[in-house]
Amino acid sequence: MSPLQLRLAGLGVVVLLALAPALLSAFSITLMNFIGIYAIAVLGLVLLTGIGGMLSFGQAAFVGLGAYATAWLTAKQGYSPWLGLMLALVLAAAVAAILGAVTLRLGGHFLSLSTVAWGIAIYYLFGNLPMLGQYNGISEIPAISIGALSLADSKSIYYLIWALLIAALVLAANLLSSREGRAIRALRGGRVLVESLGINPFRVRLVTFVLSALLSAISGWLYAHMSRFVSPAPFDVTVGVLYLLMAMIGGMGHLAGAVVGAAIVTILKNSIQDWLPRLAPGASGQLEIVVFSVLFILLLQRARAGLVPFALRFLPRVQPRVPIAEPALDRRLRPARGTPLLNVDGVLRRFGGLVAVNSVSFEVKAGEILGLIGPNGAGKTTMFNLITGALAPDQGRVHFLGQDITHQPQRQIARAGIARTFQHVKLRSSMTLLDTVLLGIYGRTSSRFFAGTFGLDRSEENRARAEAMHQLQRVGLDDRAFELAGNLPLGSQRLLEIARALASDPALLVLDEPAAGLRAGEKAELAKLLTLLKAEGLTILLVEHDMDFVMGLVDRTVVMDFGAKLCEGTPAEVRRDPRVQEAYLGGVA
Amino acid sequence: MKHSIAAALLAAVVGVAPAHAEITVGFVTSQSGPASSIGVLYDKGMKAAQEYATAVGEEKIKFIQLDDTSDPSTATRNARKLIEENKVDLVIGTATAASSNAMVAVANELKVPLLAISPITVAPSDTGERWAICIPQPPSLMVKVVINRAKRDGVKKMAYIGFIDAWGDLVYNGAKKPAEDDGIQITTNERYARTDTSVTGQVLKMLATKPDAVLLGGAATQGALPPLTLAERGYKGPLYGTPALLNTDFIRIGGKAVEGVQVSAGPVIVAEQLPDTHFSKKISMTFRDDYQKANGAPPTDGFSAYSFDSWLIFLDAAKRAMAKAKPGTPEFRTALRDAVFTTKDVVGTHAIYNFKPGESYGVDERSLVLVRLVNGQWKYEP
Amino acid sequence: MDAEIATILAMDGIASGAIYLLIGLGLVLIFAVTRVIFVPFGDIAAFTGLSLAALENGHRPGTVGLVAVLAVLATLKETALLVRTRELHRLPHTLLFYLVLPLAPAAAIWFTTGSVLPMPLRIVLALALVLPIAPLLDCLVFRPIADASVLLLLTVAVALHFALDGLGLLFFGPEGVRTQPLTETVLDIGGFIVNAQTLLIVAASIVFSGLLYLFFEFTLLGKALRATAINRTGARLVGIRPTSTASKAYLLGSLLAGISGVLIAPATTMFYDSGFLIGLKAFVGAIFGAMASYPVTALGAILVGLLESFASFWSSAYKEVVVFGLLIPILLWRSLSLGEVEEEEAEE
Repeated sequence: MSPLQLRLAGLGVVVLLALAPALLSAFSITLMNFIGIYAIAVLGLVLLTGIGGMLSFGQAAFVGLGAYATAWLTAKQGYSPWLGLMLALVLAAAVAAILGAVTLRLGGHFLSLSTVAWGIAIYYLFGNLPMLGQYNGISEIPAISIGALSLADSKSIYYLIWALLIAALVLAANLLSSREGRAIRALRGGRVLVESLGINPFRVRLVTFVLSALLSAISGWLYAHMSRFVSPAPFDVTVGVLYLLMAMIGGMGHLAGAVVGAAIVTILKNSIQDWLPRLAPGASGQLEIVVFSVLFILLLQRARAGLVPFALRFLPRVQPRVPIAEPALDRRLRPARGTPLLNVDGVLRRFGGLVAVNSVSFEVKAGEILGLIGPNGAGKTTMFNLITGALAPDQGRVHFLGQDITHQPQRQIARAGIARTFQHVKLRSSMTLLDTVLLGIYGRTSSRFFAGTFGLDRSEENRARAEAMHQLQRVGLDDRAFELAGNLPLGSQRLLEIARALASDPALLVLDEPAAGLRAGEKAELAKLLTLLKAEGLTILLVEHDMDFVMGLVDRTVVMDFGAKLCEGTPAEVRRDPRVQEAYLGGVA
Repeated sequence: MKHSIAAALLAAVVGVAPAHAEITVGFVTSQSGPASSIGVLYDKGMKAAQEYATAVGEEKIKFIQLDDTSDPSTATRNARKLIEENKVDLVIGTATAASSNAMVAVANELKVPLLAISPITVAPSDTGERWAICIPQPPSLMVKVVINRAKRDGVKKMAYIGFIDAWGDLVYNGAKKPAEDDGIQITTNERYARTDTSVTGQVLKMLATKPDAVLLGGAATQGALPPLTLAERGYKGPLYGTPALLNTDFIRIGGKAVEGVQVSAGPVIVAEQLPDTHFSKKISMTFRDDYQKANGAPPTDGFSAYSFDSWLIFLDAAKRAMAKAKPGTPEFRTALRDAVFTTKDVVGTHAIYNFKPGESYGVDERSLVLVRLVNGQWKYEP
Repeated sequence: MDAEIATILAMDGIASGAIYLLIGLGLVLIFAVTRVIFVPFGDIAAFTGLSLAALENGHRPGTVGLVAVLAVLATLKETALLVRTRELHRLPHTLLFYLVLPLAPAAAIWFTTGSVLPMPLRIVLALALVLPIAPLLDCLVFRPIADASVLLLLTVAVALHFALDGLGLLFFGPEGVRTQPLTETVLDIGGFIVNAQTLLIVAASIVFSGLLYLFFEFTLLGKALRATAINRTGARLVGIRPTSTASKAYLLGSLLAGISGVLIAPATTMFYDSGFLIGLKAFVGAIFGAMASYPVTALGAILVGLLESFASFWSSAYKEVVVFGLLIPILLWRSLSLGEVEEEEAEE
């Protein structure tokens, strides 16, 4: 399917939606309204949980914040619903920012537990504040009106709901294909990966959390003015779990999953109400929650990806737009060949009583390939982490390009020009090769969330895409730019990580055991690439276990053993050193 | 994909083509969820009402019932489903105040008369029109007669404890005004949740104010928690409550601690103890018979009788509206609404109902009597 | 507030805390062994109380049906597994553990319905009836996804709670129950009136935490559970079967939850859905202990009880807001004191 056909299909859907009130019965439109309102909230949850990896049971609380904000302002204070929308958005954003600042530093399940806690706390707050009508709720909420047109009946508010939903979907899609959106998609890869790309994970998580709260607030605003009444019950944690169920059924990782999930759950709820009483008279309501919960558990056990990815297999793929040459992105100045680039001076790191790296010093000069080798347990990986900032040394200093980077956070070191790869490949398998490499360009571009969401980043984005394509070309993967990273063999995944690292235009490329697990042919290919990069003037620090691979490739070698530096020199010198032979063959001797 | 949903919806809807010949009534109650302990009673009362009459004159009544799972969103959707899909002429519902309020908004928008069986303040529509009335006694009245009785008993200081929910709010707010008029001081506004395991903290705070009496704003089973704790802490003064405590589980669980509690109640509760001249005697005995036939056991609460009374009001109004328009039409719904709002002296189990345009409630002080719990039985206390 | 009120509130808080403590220990145990945050323990406690009340009134508890359905489903699943792996010779074993043993108490109750048994027997029967629920749920729900991430397991546990909630309403109805008091003695200690029931709750929770400690320290099974908690792979290598340790951990956790249900049922009205809030508060206690430390969890649970008790005196309406609002600073403190932990890789 070409992009034009995709647009036409989209237009067709919009026309059908516009005609729906004329074609469908009144009650179907009521259901469509509920679907739309739920879908907007679930869309926030998909961004937050499915894509950003932060599991939240508290989405309903933010819907409630939006609903109560507008209900209070319009029904109790007599202002316009549009001001209500403003208040809903501001309030939700403020609460999300505060809650997020406190809870988003929490790891994994602690974050999710805290969402249960504030979900319950906010529910009880709604029920106890006299100004919010306590458990009686707030009634006599006015209808939204646009000019003189009142959106009181369900057919007219239908257009507003679905227009907002479509706008939210388009904007969210824009965001996800922008610089910051790719950062959100990278979040699930873990903190070390995200920081190594020069991204501040806390900031990205916080903004995602606020965006998700904003979508919930819009959903709540619509809910309040459609129902014309609010009370605490629809914003309980139970409903938060229902939202999760919707997202899960539709497909957590896809924006369209929000709409599909909301539609299926709403329609199912409605039809269960029709047929359950026939199966179990008098027990239908009780069974409804049981049916939903069991369905939820089965889905989690057997089909975690949801319906959308399944359906996508049967739909024609949209032809990707191949990036065209653009004015190149700015590149950093390369230091002259032979000048000191990285200086490690007396670095020491302890783990409890164990000294993993013991006062190691060495230097990397611009334009060379330096190998850092040593047997297992020599402290190579710890040294690697100390240089890239994943760990901080207890003593000693690390200088890069004359700057002291010893205690800088990982992402700053990445931005200063040290790019790394991972021993155990860290790729987001659902991202395309092109997007993966674009992640590497994060530090060289500057479009923020707003620009990405509203498409103001196009010229920078085009240049970034051209650059990413160029880097793929360098490692020979450009013909597979639109395949998913997860579908590549390990050797190609290593090359892809190198392309991602190259995309950040580094002064120093640090590779963590790049040859581990590769077949002989793949190793040769990798060696060829590294030699080529060196010829282009790139400096490379190679941490490797495989002596043969290193020796044919590097200019100089630093050998470590038991945490200390053993010796340093050209491959030939090192090979002759009896201490090295002892260290590598010592177990036998 | 959205296309296919629309198609599915279309298919779902085409199958339902309602016939318009008879009067259609929709009924919503909470058969599940936290409010189901009351919602099920409303359901049983409605079953008795179905036993009582299923036709207005010659015209058969089509009756459709839905469960709102104690959730206002579902109540809203149910009301819309009944009106838009089943084309009902009148809606009756539901067990919680919040859900009933939500249904009023739908009734106003879609212009269908609604008989609310929870005590709520009915909101008018945008244009100031009213489409809903409220059957039960207003909570303020339920509390007022109790406060008046407390004054008669010589109470000066009263401590309040109630649920953290709409009901707890209603009782407290209803008590403030008459207490002020009767010179009674309400010393505390303590709250507890239905699922709480202890109210010791609240009770200690109440006792610290040295009250002459305690007003209970709880309901059903868990309404017994404060009296139990009060007894444990040595409180021996009088207890007052509302009709929400008229519940067998309240008596069973409260045991000795709730002996002597006085509550306001619809006369139907003590129907057989009423003098024969009392308005409620005859219809209440009919209700009991119908309830026994429909549910296999006699009624023990006041809630079921609200459903029954709502049916009586509907039958009366429908008879008058049929003279003006044909069921199933907007004209009929308007006529039915007008007829409901001009209900005059309809004798129900709880009250003699008189509704006027612009007012939510249609009962007066005759609709409440005081009853006292003696040996586990409610005794009429004129 | 004077000293007397403070003392009464403290007593009350410790009693509630003791209930949360028992459930909290179960939560920590299950999390350590299986990485599941078993939210439904609160429901297990409530079901025990409700079953006990039904037995008191000579009714058949709704749990009988629940256990029967779960046992049949689990047996079918395990048998299917045996057929697939061609291990049919293990069928008698499967039938014994998944069908006969879980159903034995249910059958005993089935045949004695109508006659009211003496109280100790009723308590034992109620506990025995409820015990198999969690292990059977583990077999049906968690075992197929034992290797999933903690987050996924948590989501499943929450969904499972809602399923049990609905089933509870179906089996027990919306009305609450209160069981007969275990003791009606009221003690006068130095001028304070103390309910013996309260003391019993506190004593029971001390005794059972003590027993749990002895069990972990001095029995082989206890050591196996601890080993599994410390290193799952290592435990497997030394021949500890993860599925069977998980079942045993669930049995032990259910026992603790069941006992707390028996203790709490005479002191308050139990509803089909009372378990959720009790479980969540136990959980706040367990988070104090970072879902890992038993003593800190115990302290945390008592603290939650005390906080709740005093909050109900100061501002009863905002009690839950206070208790759950407290969780956020605790979580923050825990996460800061634990340092930054690399979150798990999410599954695709």
